[in-house]
Amino acid sequence: MATSTAPRTSAPSPSRRSLSHYRWPIGYVVVIVGLFLLYHFILPNLVTQVSGPVTAWLPVATLNECLMWAIMALGLNVVVGYAGLLDLGYVAFWALGGYTAGWLMAAPFNWTWDFHLFGAVAKTYPGTHITFWLVILIAGVLCAILGLIIGAPTLRLRGDYLALVTLGFGEVITQFFRNSNDIAGRNLAGGDGGISIIDPIGTGPFGATGLVPPGLSNGAQDNVYKILVLGLLVGACLFISLRIREGRLGRAWLAIREDELAASMMGVPLVRTKLLAYAVGAFFGGIGGVANAAGITGAVSPSGFDFGKSVLVLLMVVLGGMGNVWGVTVGAFLLAWLNSNGLKQIGVQLDSWFGTTLTATLPRYNYIILGLLLVLMMLYRREGLIPEKRTKALMNTPSRTEMESMGAESLEAAAETAAVEKADAKTDAGIAASAAAVSPVLDESTPKREDRS
Amino acid sequence: MPGRSLTRIVALGAIAALSLTACANGSDSGTGTTGGDAPTDLVISTDLPLQGASASTSESTNNLIQLYLDQVGGKTGKYNVKLKTYDDSTAAKGAWDDAACAKNATDHVANASEVAVMGTFNSGCAKIEVPTLNRDTTGPLLMVSHANTNPGLTKTWETGEPEKYYPAGKRNYARVVTTDDYQGNAAAAFASADLKVKKCFVLNDNQTYGLGVARAFADAAKKTGIEIVGEQAWDVKQPNYTALFQAVKASGADCVYLGGIYDNNGGQLIKDKAAVLGDNSQVKLLGPDGFTGYNDLLKLPQADGLYLTFAGLTTDQLIAAGGPPAKLIEAYKTKYGAAPTGNYPLYGVAAMQVILAAIAKSDGTRAGVTNAVLSGEGITIPKAESVTGKEIKIDPASGDTTAKDITVELVKGGKETFFKSQSVQ
Repeated sequence: MATSTAPRTSAPSPSRRSLSHYRWPIGYVVVIVGLFLLYHFILPNLVTQVSGPVTAWLPVATLNECLMWAIMALGLNVVVGYAGLLDLGYVAFWALGGYTAGWLMAAPFNWTWDFHLFGAVAKTYPGTHITFWLVILIAGVLCAILGLIIGAPTLRLRGDYLALVTLGFGEVITQFFRNSNDIAGRNLAGGDGGISIIDPIGTGPFGATGLVPPGLSNGAQDNVYKILVLGLLVGACLFISLRIREGRLGRAWLAIREDELAASMMGVPLVRTKLLAYAVGAFFGGIGGVANAAGITGAVSPSGFDFGKSVLVLLMVVLGGMGNVWGVTVGAFLLAWLNSNGLKQIGVQLDSWFGTTLTATLPRYNYIILGLLLVLMMLYRREGLIPEKRTKALMNTPSRTEMESMGAESLEAAAETAAVEKADAKTDAGIAASAAAVSPVLDESTPKREDRS
Repeated sequence: MPGRSLTRIVALGAIAALSLTACANGSDSGTGTTGGDAPTDLVISTDLPLQGASASTSESTNNLIQLYLDQVGGKTGKYNVKLKTYDDSTAAKGAWDDAACAKNATDHVANASEVAVMGTFNSGCAKIEVPTLNRDTTGPLLMVSHANTNPGLTKTWETGEPEKYYPAGKRNYARVVTTDDYQGNAAAAFASADLKVKKCFVLNDNQTYGLGVARAFADAAKKTGIEIVGEQAWDVKQPNYTALFQAVKASGADCVYLGGIYDNNGGQLIKDKAAVLGDNSQVKLLGPDGFTGYNDLLKLPQADGLYLTFAGLTTDQLIAAGGPPAKLIEAYKTKYGAAPTGNYPLYGVAAMQVILAAIAKSDGTRAGVTNAVLSGEGITIPKAESVTGKEIKIDPASGDTTAKDITVELVKGGKETFFKSQSVQ
C-alpha cells in the first residue's frame, strides 16, 4: 500500500533515496547491536568500578523491559497517535497475547495432551510447546481479530464515549481471565493463578550451533541475548509503523485524526480505516504480550494486567509525542525505566550523596512524579518530547474560532499574517502533499512532497 | 523530519560507539578475581513487596531481620553474613509485579556473593522466581519463604505442580509456614468437633489463596461429615452481599467459611453476613489467616464471634510466652517505638534462622547451602532458639515445615483472642 501513492513530481535521485531509506534501520541496528555487545562482551570484562554503575542504572532485565514496553507503545501509537482513537483498554491485547503464550508454550495447567512444535524445551516435557516465533504471529493475529471485534461496535462513538467503551473492554478481559478457572465447568486459563511456567524463547538454528543457548530463559546471560530478540521485534514494529504511515492507510488515519468529517468527505472510508487501526494496534499488542510472557516474566496472571498498565502505555505515547514513532519509543524507554529501576536507582544515588533513606520510599512517589511531569508537559510542551511535525504545525497555527469569537475580522487577518511568518514552508508543503495523496484533486497545486516522519 | 531524525540516530550511534571505545580502553585493566577459597562474607537477601498494601509488613520484616542479624553479631558458623533487600513490587501497581519478580530472580542469581533468598511474600511471585533460581548452575540457589502458603510450590496440587517449578530436577525451595490445605483441614476439624455445625456454605474471593483454603476446607469438611450446601465466589467489587447471603440463608447453612483475604472487601462481607444471617453466635462464621492482623476488622462489631485460624502462634501469644520471640520484639519496640506489623515479620526471622543454620552447616557455596536444607536430615531449629516459640523442622524431601499446629482465634471485644490450639494430621 505504500508504493501505490508514491510522489509523482521531482523525486530525488535514486541513490540518495535508497540511502535515506536505510538511514534509520542502520542507526537502529547499530544501537541494538552496540547494546548487545556492551552487555555481552564489554561490561563483564571491566572492573566493577566502571561496569557497576552501568548495570545498576540500566540492568539488562530493565533494558529488556523497556524494549517490551516500546512494542506496546508503538502499538498504541497506531490507534491513538495515528488514528486519534483514544484507547484506555489497551492492556486487553497485552493480556490476550500473554495468554496465547500461556496456552501454546507452557507447562500444563490442565490440558491433558502433549504437543511439541519446534519448542525450546525437551520433547519429554508435558504440555503444549510451540516455538516463540510462531506464537508471536498467532498471538498477533488473534489480537487483531479481537481488535476488529471491539472496534466494530465502537465505530459510531467518538472521544470520551469511545474511551469509556475501551476502558470497559480492558477491565472485562482481565475479569474474564480471573474467572477463567471455571468457564462452563472448564478451566480455560488457570484463574487467578494464571499460567506458569512459559517456555524460554527458542533460538532454533542459532541454538543448534552452540553459540547461543538453545532457549533463552530468565538467566543473566540469556537476558543479554534477549536484547537482540526484543530489539528485532521493536525494529519490526518501527518498520511497520513507519511504512504504514507513509502509505494510503497511514495518511487516511492522520486525516481521520485531524478531522473525521472532512476525511469522510474526501472519500476516506471511515469504517474500514478505523477497524484497521484497531487491528494493527492490536497486532502489536499481541506481540508485546508474548514478548512479555515469554521474555520477561515467564508467567501470566490476571493481576499483571490491571488498568494501571493501560494508563502507563498511554502516558508513554502522550509523553513521547503522539504519532511520532521515535518520540513514542523514547517515551516508552523513559517511563518503563522510571517505573522499573529508575526511581529506585535515583533514590540509591540520593542516599549515597545526602545520607537520606529514599531507596525504598522514592518509588512510592511514582504517580506524583509522573503527574507533575505530565502537567509540566501539558503546560510547556503539549506535543510531546519528540513531537510529530504535523501536530506541532497545527499547534502553532492560531485557532480560527478563537479569533473569530473575539469578533474582530482585522485581528483575523493579523493572525494569519503571523501564522504565515511563523510557518515553515517545507512543513506546509509536506502537509499539503500528504493531504493531496489522500485526495488527488488537491495535488495539482502542490509542487513537491517531502513528508517523511 | 528526515534530517532531524537522522541527527538523532547519528547521535545515538555516536554515544553507543563512544561507550564502546571507552569500555574497550577500560577492559585492559579488568581482571577476574573469582575462584579460590569459599568466600567468608556471604549475602542473604530478602525479596519482599516494599510498596503498596504490604509495604509496612515488609518493612517491619526487613527491620526485624536486620535487628536479629545484629543480635547474633552478623555471623553464622565461620561466615559473616550481610543482608540485602530487594523490592518485588512496583509503585504503579502497589503490589508484587511479575516483571519485578522475574528481574529480582535474575539479580539473585547474578549477584555472586548471595547464597540464599528469604522470601517471597506472595506465592505468585515465588512461582516466577523459583524456576530461575533452580536453573542457577552454581546452585540451585536456596529460597526460604516466611509467607507462601500455596500448596503447589511444594506438593502435588494443580496439574504439573510442583515439578514444573524445579526444571533442574532438584528442590531449592523451603518454607516455615504451613500450607493452605492444612489450615482448611484444621478449620474443618474445629468446625465439626468444637462448633458441631452440620451444614456449611463455603465462600471464596476467587484468588489463588482464597480458592486454595476454601477448597481444602470443603474437602476436609466433607470427610468429617459436614454437608457442604454451597460453594461460591464473592465478587470483590460488589458494593453489598445481601443477595449472596440470602442464598446462604435459603440453603439452611449453620456455618459460613470465608476463604480469602480481608482486603478483598471482607468488611462488607462480614457486615452483610450479620445483617442477613444474624450475629455470629447463630450462624457460625469462620475464616483463614487472610483475615487476621487487621485492625479495621477487629473494630467491626459484626466481627464479634468470628473464628479465625492462623498457622503458628500470634505475636501476642509469643510475647506472653517469653523466650527468644519476646526478647526480639522487645528490642524491636525499643528501637522503632512500635511492635512489628502483623504476624509475618517473626516468621521472616524464622526463615532467616533456617537459612543461617543451613549456612553454618554448609561449605559456604550456593549448592552447599541448598543441600543443607533439602538433603540429609534437613534443618531443625530447637524450641529454645526458635523465634516462633516452637521447634521448626524442615522436611528435606519437600521443603515444607513439619510443624502443623494451627491456632484457632476468636474475635471478641475488638481483639483476636486465643481460643484453642488445633493440630492436624
